[in-house]
Amino acid sequence: MESSQSVAAPAATADQASALQRLVSAPALLVYAAVLLAAGAILGFWYAPTDASTMGFSQKIFYFHVPVAETALLAYGVAFVAGILYLRSRDAKYDRLGVAAIRLGLLFSLLVMATGMVWGKAAWGAWWAWEPRLTTFLIACLLYAAYFVLRSSVDEEERRATYSALFAIIAFIDVPVTFVATRLMPAGLHPVVFTGQGAQMDHRDLIAFMVAMVGMTLFFVGLLRTELAAARLREELDHLKNRLGS
Amino acid sequence: MAEVDVAHAEIEVEGLNKTFGRRDVLRDVSFGVERGGFLSIMGPNGAGKTTTLRVLATLLTPTSGGVRIAGLDPLDDPMPVRRVIGLISHSPLLYLDLTAYENLRFYADMYGVPERERRIGELLERVELSHRRYDQVRTFSKGMLQRLAIARALLHRPRVLLLDEPYSGLDPHAVDILDGLLAEIRAEHTFVMVSHSIPKTLQLSTQVVIMDAGRIVYRQAGRVDEGDFVAVYREHVNEGVAL
Amino acid sequence: MAAGAVGVGVVELPPARTSAGRQLYTIVKKDVISELRTKEMLLSMFLFAVLAMVVFHFAFTVRADTDLTYFTGGMLWVTFIFGALLGLNRSFVHEKDEGCLDGLLLCPVDRVTIFLAKMTGNLIFLLVIQALAVPIFTLFFVKTSYAADLPAFLAVLLLADVGVCAVGTLLATIAMNTKARDLLLPIVFLPLIIPVLIAATSATTGIFAQTASLGSLGAKLGFLAAYDVIFVLAAYGTYDFAIGE
Repeated sequence: MESSQSVAAPAATADQASALQRLVSAPALLVYAAVLLAAGAILGFWYAPTDASTMGFSQKIFYFHVPVAETALLAYGVAFVAGILYLRSRDAKYDRLGVAAIRLGLLFSLLVMATGMVWGKAAWGAWWAWEPRLTTFLIACLLYAAYFVLRSSVDEEERRATYSALFAIIAFIDVPVTFVATRLMPAGLHPVVFTGQGAQMDHRDLIAFMVAMVGMTLFFVGLLRTELAAARLREELDHLKNRLGS
Repeated sequence: MAEVDVAHAEIEVEGLNKTFGRRDVLRDVSFGVERGGFLSIMGPNGAGKTTTLRVLATLLTPTSGGVRIAGLDPLDDPMPVRRVIGLISHSPLLYLDLTAYENLRFYADMYGVPERERRIGELLERVELSHRRYDQVRTFSKGMLQRLAIARALLHRPRVLLLDEPYSGLDPHAVDILDGLLAEIRAEHTFVMVSHSIPKTLQLSTQVVIMDAGRIVYRQAGRVDEGDFVAVYREHVNEGVAL
Repeated sequence: MAAGAVGVGVVELPPARTSAGRQLYTIVKKDVISELRTKEMLLSMFLFAVLAMVVFHFAFTVRADTDLTYFTGGMLWVTFIFGALLGLNRSFVHEKDEGCLDGLLLCPVDRVTIFLAKMTGNLIFLLVIQALAVPIFTLFFVKTSYAADLPAFLAVLLLADVGVCAVGTLLATIAMNTKARDLLLPIVFLPLIIPVLIAATSATTGIFAQTASLGSLGAKLGFLAAYDVIFVLAAYGTYDFAIGE
C-alpha cells in the first residue's frame, strides 16, 4: 500500500525536490536554528545588559532555560494533537509523530530541570527547590516516561498506538492542572519575568530572548522532522525484511 | 419498537479486511446468509474464523469492508445490532461468583428483556438447570456452564445466533440439549457457526465455507456427503499452506 | 415475540425496557454483589490502610515528643491513594479473569455507561474503606477534634475520591489489556493524580491542624471540583477507545 509506493520512489523524490522544499527541509531548519541560537547567545551575553539584581551574570541562563521549557510544552502539545488525530483516523503516521514529539519533549524537559538547577544554585544557593515550574517539569518527566512504559507494555501495534494517543491526550491536560496545583502550595522562589503588565525586561533582553526562542523552536521542529524521517525509514526497512522473510 | 427494512440476505459481508499491525488476518472475505440459513465456517487454526465471527458480533471493527446484519450496519451504529444478535462462545461468559439466576438477571436487565422473571424461568427450564438456579456458577460443570450460556444467549430473543465452537468440551447430555434447542429455534433464526467438527457441520448447515490464511478458499451451498466433504476439506486446506 | 413479518420489508427489533441509568445500576449491583461474596478486595484494601498507618507512625516518630499533626494530611492521602490502587487494579478482574468481558461488550450498552458504572463501583468501595479507616486514623494521629469541620473534610474526601476513581478507572481499563497490568497502573496513575494529592493533602492537614482558613479551603475544594470535571469529561470522550478493540 502506502509504503510500497515510497520504496519505489525515493530516487524520484530527490530529483523532484523543489527549491522551496530544500529551504524548509530538516537539515536546513537545523542550520537556521544553529545560527539563531548562536545569535541569541551572543546577544544575550554582549548586547543585553547584565542583570541589576542579585543574580547578575547567571541570569543569562534564562535565554536558554525558558525557550527550552516552552519548546518542551510545545512538543507535548504536538503529541496531544497527534493523539487526537490518530484516534480519529487510525493512521500510523500520527502515532509516529506522537512518539517522536514526546521523546523530544522528555529530552527538553530534562534540560529544563538541569538548567533550572544550575540557575537555582547560582541564584538561591540551592540545587533544588520545590517551586511550581521545576516541580511541574519533574512531574511531566515522570508522566511522559510512563508513556514509554505504557508503550513497551503493549505488543500489538494498533492497540499500542491507541493507548499511547489516549495517554498523550490525558497527560497534556494534566500538565497545566499540575502547574496550578503546585501554586496552591507555599510560594516558591522562582522569579516571575512575564507578569500581567508585560515583560519586566529591558527591550534589549527581549530581543535576545525572542531570537533564542525562535531559534529553539526551529531546533525542535528540525529535530522532530529528522526523527520522523528516521522512523519512517526504520518502518520501511522492517516491512522489507518481513516481505523478504515470508 | 424500531422497525427496519429487511435486506435480501439476513447477513451480508462484503470485502472484509482486518490487519493487526503487519498481519493480515482477514483478506477480502465476502459471504451472505439468507434468513433462516445456517452457515458453518471451517478451517485450520489461525484461518480467521473467530475473527470473522467477532466482526459479526460487533466486538471487532474491520480495517475495511462492509457488514449488514438484519438490514442494520454495525459499523455505523452497533447498538441496534447488539439487540438482534446472540453469541455462544466456547467461553461461557458467565460470572462465577454469581448464581445462575443472578447471571441471567444481569443480562436480562442489560438487554431490557420484558417479563424478565418469566423469561428466565422459561429458559432455565429449557436447559434443565432450574434446580440449580440459586447455586453459584463456580460450582457448575463445563456442560452445565455451556447450557447456562445458551440460556444467556437466548434471553433477548436474538434473530441471529453466532456460535464459536459451541460443542467443544461438552458432555453427551449437554450436546443433546444444545441439539434440541437449536432444532427448536431453527425456524425464523439465522446462524453462523465456527466449527472443527465435520459431522456437526454437515448435520446442521445449509452452507459451508472453508477459510485458510484469512481467505475463503471453498464455498458450498446445500447438502454435502460427508466423505466428499472430508476430501474437499483436506484438498483445500493443504492448498492454503504454501511451500 | 421476535419474528415479525418476513420478506415484505418490515421487521421489528426485540422490545427492550432499559435505560442507561438502569444498565449502570445493574453493573454496579453485580460488582457489589460479587465483591461481597468474596470480600477479597475490601479486606485487602482495609488491611493495607491500617498497615500503612502503622508504618507511618514508625517511619516518622523519630523522638518521643514528635508531633505529626502537620504530616496528617499527607499520611492520610498517601494511604488512600495507594490503597485505591489495589482496588483499581481489580476494576475489571471478574471480566478479565473469567473471560466475560465479551459478554459485557455484547450488551447494547454505551461504553461510557460501562465507564461510569465501573467508576461508581470503585468509588463505593473506596468510600467504604475510608469510612472504616478515617476513625482509626483520627484515633492514631489527630490530637484536636475536627467535628466542627466535618462537612468540609467530607467534601474534600468526596471530591478527591471522584478524581481518583475517574482517572483510575480509565487507566485501569487500558492497563488490563497490557502485559504488565498490575505493574503498569501505578506508573501511569500516580503522576496524573498528583494535583489531587497536592490539594487534598494541604486541605486535610489544614483541617486536622486547625490552621485552614475558609478562603484557602474553598480554593482547594474548587480546584478538586475542577479537576473532577476536567477528567471525567476527558474519560467520557476517550473511553470508547480505551475499552474497544
